[in-house]
Order: sequence, then structure tokens, then C-alpha cells
Amino acid sequence: MTLQQTDTAAGPRPAARRRLSFRTREKIAGYLFVLPDALGLLVFVGLPMLLALGLGFFEVDGFGGYRFAGLANYRRMWADPLFWQSLGATLLYAAMLVPSLYVSGLGLALLVERTNAWNGVLRAIFFLPQMVSLVVVALIWKMLTVEKIGAISRALSPLGLGGISFLGNPDWAMFAVVFVSVWFLMGFYMLIFLGGLQDIPKEYYEAARIDGAGPLSSFWFITLPLLRPTSFFVLLVSLVTAVAGGAAFDLIYVMTKGGPANSTSLLIFYAYQQAFQYNSFGYAGAIASILVAVLLLVTLVMFLLTRGGRFQYE
Amino acid sequence: MSERVPKYRYTAGQVTIVRAIWVLIGAVLALMTLFPLLWMVSISFKTQAEMFDMGLVPANPTLDNFRYVFTQVDFVRYLLNTFFVAATVTLVALLFHSMAGYALARLRFPGREAIFLTMFSTFLVSLPVIIVPLFILVRSLGMLNSFSGLIIPSIFNAFGIFLLRQFYLSVPRELEEAALIDGAGHFRIYWSVILPISRPILSALAILFFLANWNAFLWPLTVTRDPELRLVQVAIAGFQGQYTAAWNYIMAASTVVALPMLVLFLIFQRQIMDSLKTSGLK
Amino acid sequence: MSAVDIDDVVKTYGAMQVIHGVDLSIADGEFVVLVGPSGCGKSTLLRMVAGLEDISGGTISIGGTVVNELAPKERNIAMVFQNYALYPHMTVAQNMAFSLRLNRVGREEIRQKVERAADILGLGALLDRYPAQLSGGQRQRVAMGRAIVRNPEVFLFDEPLSNLDAKLRVQMRAEIGELHQRLRTTTIYVTHDQIEAMTMADRIVVMNAGRVEQVGSPLELYDRPRNLFVAGFIGSPAMNFIPGRIVERQFRSPLGVVAPLPRGINAAEGTEVVCGIRPDQITLGDEGAPAEVSVVEPTGAETLVVLRAGGVPIQAVLRDRRQIRPGEAVSFRLEPEAMHLFDAGTGVRL
Repeated sequence: MTLQQTDTAAGPRPAARRRLSFRTREKIAGYLFVLPDALGLLVFVGLPMLLALGLGFFEVDGFGGYRFAGLANYRRMWADPLFWQSLGATLLYAAMLVPSLYVSGLGLALLVERTNAWNGVLRAIFFLPQMVSLVVVALIWKMLTVEKIGAISRALSPLGLGGISFLGNPDWAMFAVVFVSVWFLMGFYMLIFLGGLQDIPKEYYEAARIDGAGPLSSFWFITLPLLRPTSFFVLLVSLVTAVAGGAAFDLIYVMTKGGPANSTSLLIFYAYQQAFQYNSFGYAGAIASILVAVLLLVTLVMFLLTRGGRFQYE
Repeated sequence: MSERVPKYRYTAGQVTIVRAIWVLIGAVLALMTLFPLLWMVSISFKTQAEMFDMGLVPANPTLDNFRYVFTQVDFVRYLLNTFFVAATVTLVALLFHSMAGYALARLRFPGREAIFLTMFSTFLVSLPVIIVPLFILVRSLGMLNSFSGLIIPSIFNAFGIFLLRQFYLSVPRELEEAALIDGAGHFRIYWSVILPISRPILSALAILFFLANWNAFLWPLTVTRDPELRLVQVAIAGFQGQYTAAWNYIMAASTVVALPMLVLFLIFQRQIMDSLKTSGLK
Repeated sequence: MSAVDIDDVVKTYGAMQVIHGVDLSIADGEFVVLVGPSGCGKSTLLRMVAGLEDISGGTISIGGTVVNELAPKERNIAMVFQNYALYPHMTVAQNMAFSLRLNRVGREEIRQKVERAADILGLGALLDRYPAQLSGGQRQRVAMGRAIVRNPEVFLFDEPLSNLDAKLRVQMRAEIGELHQRLRTTTIYVTHDQIEAMTMADRIVVMNAGRVEQVGSPLELYDRPRNLFVAGFIGSPAMNFIPGRIVERQFRSPLGVVAPLPRGINAAEGTEVVCGIRPDQITLGDEGAPAEVSVVEPTGAETLVVLRAGGVPIQAVLRDRRQIRPGEAVSFRLEPEAMHLFDAGTGVRL
């Protein structure tokens, strides 16, 4: 028996019962597939972004009543020394965090670049802090730095540093927050750099060796230039993290509450306090609007520079 | 001999020394990274009296701290709440993001690029920045102090869509075309062909999403007051306010909260690290 | 099984037209091969028949029904892809059964059809394997099995053998031919490999730059190529082209080649022409046009010799073994009756 004797599986051509062309059906499917996420992002991310830009022009009371307030919130902001201090703290935090993350991420990546069992273990260990919540991280470091009796304070006491209250001293608190942020985030940036390093074809290094390059010159003339897309991504993302407070908020909330003497009060934290401690939603909105505007600008620039999120040479 | 060796070559002895130094640096850094976590676990087994002793191994290990956490506080409820929220967010997010990512990568419809661009523009906006307006919005939707308020706003993020779209762009188009010819519609192709072949990336994303929601603090802190709805991160942060110096209890609670994620990491570390390594870069 | 009619079909991408009005009638049960260099539009044409590309102009009908607006699944065609496109998460049996399942065919009937297809293709032992566990040739067979279980009206093949090694390609070529002998299903087969086209086709369609250059049986194309493009494309090693002009009912080339015109050719005195001659119609000897041997490639049964005559490379295939070395000066002659003459300006056969 051959196949042609069996009935056709598809039966008669179903042209008659077809209502929509298949291209139309593809379009409908496309819209339906995108709909849930598009709607959700619109309502829970897009709308808040727009609200953040507009909220600053209103006075909002605790029960959801709004009153147009013109530029009052922005005028208040201009005259508020705590706002300026928070802005300064944010810039200081970013200025310390971004280079620290770049150096530690790249350094760790270079340290564990070669693939072997030992480096596999090291990679996992360096990444491990990412698994722990920032609340727990903050608690651990708070405990470690308890004045005089915390493990770190004790370990440092032979150097005469045992008496320092790292989180209680305005001169030290920001360093402590940056240090813990780096400890938490470095594993992620190590991975990004590892990805970048492994994308560099080994032949370049071999060619450079034959051309007489030592380890330092191949790092300088091959690794760094070819790592440029990765570096760009890392600098951008860590900058945004620093400003938008991806990690900092939880740490500050638990470790310092913005103190001591407002030395660790980043803008995001100051805005949060204004809204949820003092019920100044409008004022908080004014502060947030500045952050949203900055972030939108950064995103736009990134999008243009990378032609839609493509970070490699083309 | 040695003068014939080119400048960029090193003797076996030099190589060994460099290797040894390299290993040493790695070991020291790893120990420094690990130390705070070990200390957390150590303290959670210590009594109040020896809490600030310098020994890493407790002299008189005790389970009292854990007993306290589970009996004096409603910690089990917080754990269950958190599990429920994190698992729900993860499942729904995977479904929605894979649908959107697939459509944005492969289905042809007018406005697709504009939609993708708009979604992409929310890429860098983080929760702390929009927390105030988001809170007002959720409040006006009547979702304060509810599971829906905890869950629904946490589902949507451009990162997952972006990553999945990148993945679907790399799936050979012929696979869908073969299914099209085999008689499948677009929903069928998504369900029977696309979803099954995305299993590796979906499982990696599932871990990341679950992790992020298990560890989430700011949103649950802001959107709920009701102790019945409390999630673990909020609970232990509150704990610390309550028992300021009782680090043994706080660390026992922290250990309980951190442990599931650390175990998850031990099991899935390859998938987690691989999926992050290429995130957004390709 | 059905005839396929392609009528003045045009494909444009935006402002760019890639297929310029192709007409082609394929008879019921015929095995037609579309061949041409990459980018000639052969795959696009096939995909338009499949319904994977929109048809910008003209009509395609299968079995008398215009299918322009029909979805692929409504055209009752089956397709084998270059990379096979087997569903990686389904076993061989599930891969073959997928289309039947979608058409709500009964479980028992599916089993029978899959087993029969597996029998035909010798896949019986592999039904529970996954594609990743199969060799290239086995995957190729599964892809064909997936096509034949549906018993379609038309088989479409898109360069199905190009991912296989040379030996397997020859074997699969024979198997596809055998399958067609057995099923007699109308088949459209796309390839860039003219040997595949020659060995498998009932009729070959040579395409170039979005146009059909010539349609005909393999030997028709070989013996009477309609223009320079087809002449150069069909046959391996490729036909030699020698420029010259018609002088006194003779072909004369500045290279020193002189040959009487073949019978039946009427060309005006002084016409610029190109003479095409297949490498096996060239003989080396003591008289004829002078040339220098530049490359000698013995393959055993025959020897390929590349000559240089006045800077023009000329390939010759010699059946007899003879001592010949690069650099040697030789003379060559062509078989006058084997000459193909083309107008040098238009490239059209005289």
C-alpha cells in the first residue's frame, strides 16, 4: 500500500470557512501577545513615570486629595538645604561607587578568567552576596561594625581603629555604605566582564604574543580596547544604579536611615522620607521628577549610542 | 639556554610563583567575601552571652535562636506569604514576558518597533525613583494592604521582556515556518514549539525573578501595613528595630531567610551566572 | 497531488523588486528543480508557493485554486527546510505526528501513518529518539518523513542537502529520487547545485537575478542552453567561452581558434560572438590554436587541464592519460559540431 491511496489528512481546502487572512491573524496574535505586558508596564511603570513628572506641581494630602500648587514644591526644593545635601550625597555616592565597581568587577573577572575548577568556586563565592537580600546584607554589616564589639571593629582595634563607629560617624558612614554596596554588587559586574572577556577571540592574544607582547601590553592593547562595549555597559548601568538607588535604598533604610547628620541621605531616600514620613507627596514628587528626567535622558542617550541596545561592534 | 628564550616567555619557576600568588590573592578575596555570611550563620548558633566572641565556631552551639524566631514571631506565616507572592509573580511574569518577547521578536504587526521602544524606555527606571507615584496609583486602585497590591505591580519589568526577545531573535525562523506549514496557528506555535524550546532560559529567569521577589523589601514595606500580609524582608528589618541588640535572634532570622536562596544558588549556579553573563549585552 | 501554476509572480521588498514576473507551469506529479546562484530569487519563489512570503503581484495556484491569500496550512503543501527545522523537544515520532495532531487525526490513524512513513524511510528504529541524537542524514530523513505523513499535494524542498557531506548528499539524492518515483507527488526543489538539478529533475528552471533564464529537461539545458548564463551555469566543469567573430562562414578568434560554423547557424558576416565549448569537446594535439599548459589536475578517470591562450583560461578534460606538464606549449582544437555560439552583445544563442 502506498501513501497516495490514503485519504488526505487535511481534507478539502478550507477556503470557504476562512474569514480573516492569515496576515491579519498574525497581527491580531501579535497585539494579543503583547497586550498583558504592554498594559501592565503602561499602568505600573509608565504612568508612575509620567505622574512623577507631574506630581511636583501638586499638593497631595494623605487621603488622596490634590491641589494644584504651581511651582511651590520646586521653589521649596530650591530653598531646602537638605535637598542640596541629598543631591551632594547622591553625587558623592555615584562618584565613589561607579569607579569602585568598574575596578572590582574587572579585577575579579581577570582574576578568575581562566576556566578551571578553582576559578569556578571563586566565581561562585564572589557572586554569592547577590543571593542574599539587601536587608540581610545591611543587618550583617551593621552587626559587624558595632562600635568596639563588632567583629570588624575588634579586628581593626590593633590599628587603633577599633573605636570608630563606621555607621555612626558622618565622616565614615558614606564610605561604609559604598563599601557594602560594592561587596554586594561586584559579583554581578564580574560576570558581565567575564562575558565580555570570553567574547574576545583567543587568536588576538596569540597573535599579540607572537608580536612580542607581554601580559601587560596585551591587556592594554587588546583586552581594554576590545572590552569597550562591555565597559560602556558597566559604567552606564552602575551609574544608573547609583543614582536610581537600586541597591542603596534598602541598605540605607536598614543601616543608617539617612544619617548620621543626613550624611547618607541620597535623593531617593530623602524623597521617600518626605512622602511616607512627612506626608509631603507633592514635594517628594518634585524630587522624583528630577530623577526620572535624568534617567529618561540617560536611557535615550544609551539607546542612540547603542542603536537599540546592541552593545557589540558591528 | 636562557638567552635563547624570547623576552615574552617565562621560566617554569616564574610561572609557578605567579600562579601561586594568583591563587593566594583569589583565596584571600574569597575569604573576605565569604566572611560576613559565615559570621551570620555563626552568630545564629551562638548564645547571647558569647555573641561578640571572636570565634567563628560557636563554643556552645544552640538552636534556641531559631526556636525563638519560629515560636515568638509569626515567622512561618511571613515565609509562606513571601513564597506565595514570589512564586505567583514569577509564574505570571514568565508567561507574560515570553508572550511579549516572542511577539516583539517574531510576529509582524504595525507599531511593533514603537511598542518595543516604549517598553525599552522604562528599562532603567528603578522602583525607588517611582515609588511615590506608584504608591499613590496603587492606593487609588484600592490595592493597598492586599496580595494583589503586592503581586501585580511586581510582575512588569522591561528587563525580562528584553532578554526573552533577544533569545527569540536567535531561534531559527524555520522552526516556526515548519509549524506554520504543519498547520499550527500562532497561539499553537507559541504553546507547542516556542515555550518548550525556551525552557532553559525560562528556568534561569524563573530563578532570577523568584530571587528578586523573595528579596524584595521596598515595595512590600510601602504597600502593606497589615501584619497578616507581612513578607520576610520587612519582617526582619522590623525585627531589628524591635530587638536592637539581640543580634543572635536577628541573625537566626536572617539565616532562615537567606538559606533558601543560597541553596538555590548552589544547585543552579551555572544557569544563574550564565544567564546574567549575557544579559543585555548581546 | 496537483499541478502548480505560477503566473506573472512579482516580489518586492519596499522599493526593491527581487522577482520580476515569473511564469511557470508545473504538471501534476512532476519533479521540478529551481536552480541558480545565491540571491537569484529561487528560495523566495519557493517560499511564496509555501505561503511564507507574501505575493506582491501575480497569482500562484495549486490544483486550480488561487492560493495567494491562503495561509500555509490551507495550501496542503509540505516543506523540507535546509536546516531541517525539526522540533528539538519532540521525538522523531512526535515530529512526524505534529501536523496530523493539529488536524485532529485519530490516535490510531496517526500511529499507522507515522509507522508507514518510518518504514518507507527506514526510520523504524529511531522513532523514540530526539533530533539531537540523530546524524545529519537521519535528520534529513525525519524532515522528509514529516513531509510525507501528511500526504500533501505538493512537496517543497529548500536546499535540503546542502548541510550534508558530499557522500551522504549523493545517497540522499538517490533516496529523494526514489521517493518521488514511489509517491509521484508534485515536487518543487530548490538548490544552487547544478549537479543536483541535473540528476534529479524532470525539468529544471534556471533562475538569475529574479528572472527565469530557461526551463527545460536537464539534457535540453545541457545541449541547447538558451543564453550565456545558462551555458555557464549548467555543466561541470563549466563551459569555456572564447570570444571571436564570424568571418567567411567560420568562427575566428584572436586566440587562433578557427572552426567552421555548425550546421543550421546563420549569422551575419562580422558578428561579434562568443563560442561556448564544453571542456570534454576540446582535444589537444599538434595542430590548432597555440596555448600554454598552466594547471594539470589528474582525478584518475580523467585529467583536467587548464590552458592559457592569449590570457584566456581554457579548461579541457582529457580521457586518456598522457604526460603533460605545466609550462608546456600545446595546441588545441574544438569539435565544430559541439560549438555553442552566442551573440556577444545580448548573450542569446544564435
